[in-house]
Amino acid sequence: MKIGSTLNDGKATDRINDEIRRRNSDPRGIIFRTFLQLGLFLALLILTVLLVDVVQNGWGTLSTRFGDFLSGTLRSRSIDEKLGVHQGLVGSFWIAVTTAIVAFPIGIGAAIYLEEYAPKNRLTRFIEINIRNLAGVPSVVYGLLGLFIFVNTFGKWTGGKSLLSAALTLSILVLPIVIITASEAIRATPQSLREGAYGVGATRWEVVRRQVLPYAAPGILTGTLLAMSRAIGEAAPLILVGAVTGRLGTNPGFLDLGALKERFVAMPIVITEWTQNSGRDPGFAGAAAAAIVVLLVFVLALNSIAILLRNRFEKRRK
Amino acid sequence: MKRRLINLFALLACTAVVFGCSSSEDSSSSSSETASASASASASASESVEEVESLEGTVEISGSSTVEPVSVRVAELFEDVAPGVAVNVDGPGTGDGFELFCNGETDISGASRAIKDAEAEACAATGVEYIELQVGIDGIGVMTNANNDAVDCVSKGDLYALVGPESTGFDSWSDANDLAVELGGTGGFPDAPLDIFGPGAESGTFDSFNEMTFKSIAKSRDQESREARPDYVSSGDDNVILTGIQGSDTSLGWVGFAFAANAADVKLLEMDGGDGCVAPTPATIASGEYPLSRPLFIYVNPAKLADNPALEAYVDFFMTEVSLQDAVTEVGYVPLAAAEMAATQNTWSSR
Repeated sequence: MKIGSTLNDGKATDRINDEIRRRNSDPRGIIFRTFLQLGLFLALLILTVLLVDVVQNGWGTLSTRFGDFLSGTLRSRSIDEKLGVHQGLVGSFWIAVTTAIVAFPIGIGAAIYLEEYAPKNRLTRFIEINIRNLAGVPSVVYGLLGLFIFVNTFGKWTGGKSLLSAALTLSILVLPIVIITASEAIRATPQSLREGAYGVGATRWEVVRRQVLPYAAPGILTGTLLAMSRAIGEAAPLILVGAVTGRLGTNPGFLDLGALKERFVAMPIVITEWTQNSGRDPGFAGAAAAAIVVLLVFVLALNSIAILLRNRFEKRRK
Repeated sequence: MKRRLINLFALLACTAVVFGCSSSEDSSSSSSETASASASASASASESVEEVESLEGTVEISGSSTVEPVSVRVAELFEDVAPGVAVNVDGPGTGDGFELFCNGETDISGASRAIKDAEAEACAATGVEYIELQVGIDGIGVMTNANNDAVDCVSKGDLYALVGPESTGFDSWSDANDLAVELGGTGGFPDAPLDIFGPGAESGTFDSFNEMTFKSIAKSRDQESREARPDYVSSGDDNVILTGIQGSDTSLGWVGFAFAANAADVKLLEMDGGDGCVAPTPATIASGEYPLSRPLFIYVNPAKLADNPALEAYVDFFMTEVSLQDAVTEVGYVPLAAAEMAATQNTWSSR
């Protein structure tokens, strides 16, 4: 309290400020700061170069036939006027929706259990370590898992090699990420909040529902969003569970639920295929770049929805 | 707080609706599909344009990534004739394609080489028969960097000396000279780094190249391996191979002709098959003058024809000149000569 009162003296505050400023001119500090700024600059530079390059290459397609490109399909030649990404967008859309419906409730539920209910013993720690390991397993391994479970074992319900199998496979793939990020958000809830609530006689369920979840919601949302973006960007596991690369015979609409049990394509597959085709038919390079721009906008749109939601939660938290 | 809980229930309700819808819609669509399929099956005995137009069904094609664009182009043209037929085309590779085909998972399998004995046995084991139809020709282009003036034309012996099974460890072009001369080649390669880029073992181009270039020489020299040396940079992606060749002044590599013909900043080498140097062009490949060319096939499962009239209509369309001539050319391959085309059409019609 004594220090507080001397600080209220204006001169003392100035002296302390001077002292702090002088310390800032420490050369090692400057080098470290420059190093950090350089890191940020490089990261932004790479991102900018990538974006400019992709937009430049794709501009020809995007500026001349944007509408046709959005409604078109996989074709064998780049000059085909029906060439487009509609089938890929439908595939990626349903992958995103299914991940949200399947992986998020399960993942967040598991995280709540692990953080709030499970006893802190060896078994829990063992499970947590394994979930972390699962998050690092190469995606193609999940593809094999999906092939075995959803395509072969439960093929009767998923339609075998189908969009539904793929979406469920990717839901499993992002599950560990959802659990880890949700766990961390829940763990970051101040202990005092819980103790305060218990103190006034709240049950565990009430504490979780009224204190922990509202506080952790923005963090959980950010994590699940990253997970969804990951699911949308995956290509390797999709090849194993029924994505076609050359041609998809149908061009279903976004709300055509029958297409869930049919074979499909998704945006990353479209981009890979067209990049490979560019060897045979150089015009595909521009189409691939345009498809990358569309995928980026698609992911950004999903991200902004989640950011809006997060801001709403954050306001409520205050 | 209560509102949030309500939101949660709303979400769950939505989920239930989504899945409810999906199952009900699917059952109705599948029942209508079978109805129409059986209707068209009974009518398919005599074919007319109207019947093809009203056909419905799905054709599943897998196999070689080289043949994939041909099947896709034919499907695109077929779409105008039979808009109700969905043709799905995939291209994991000739070998992977035959695996699916022999399991009965696909109707047609594309192949950039004839079926191997082991694959034919696998098909026989599962009781899957096949009709082999040659639909076009692809050449293999041997390339070096555009700045490499030392090489213009090579023989199979030269390629055997540079890339064959006995060349493992050669890291300079001149290392291959003795072997090339021994095999009747000219040799005389300069002492320059030999950087080799080519398709990996998973690729049909790898098999074709071995078959066409090394097999007979390796056999006559009692070599156990009849494949390219293992120590080169391999990739399944032709673009990666091309980038490698462009990146080294004294590189050597090979890819499918359709790809090589469009490649920039590389030099396509001529091949000497014994009667002088021949440049790879569509004409020399179709005539067989250019030594490194390979046939492209589709394999059709005849058992599937009976219950899938859409499949029969698609292959019928594949056998027309529009497909075998125009579609094959449009995607960068060489169409069959008139006699071979007639032979293919005959194989199909007399099945």
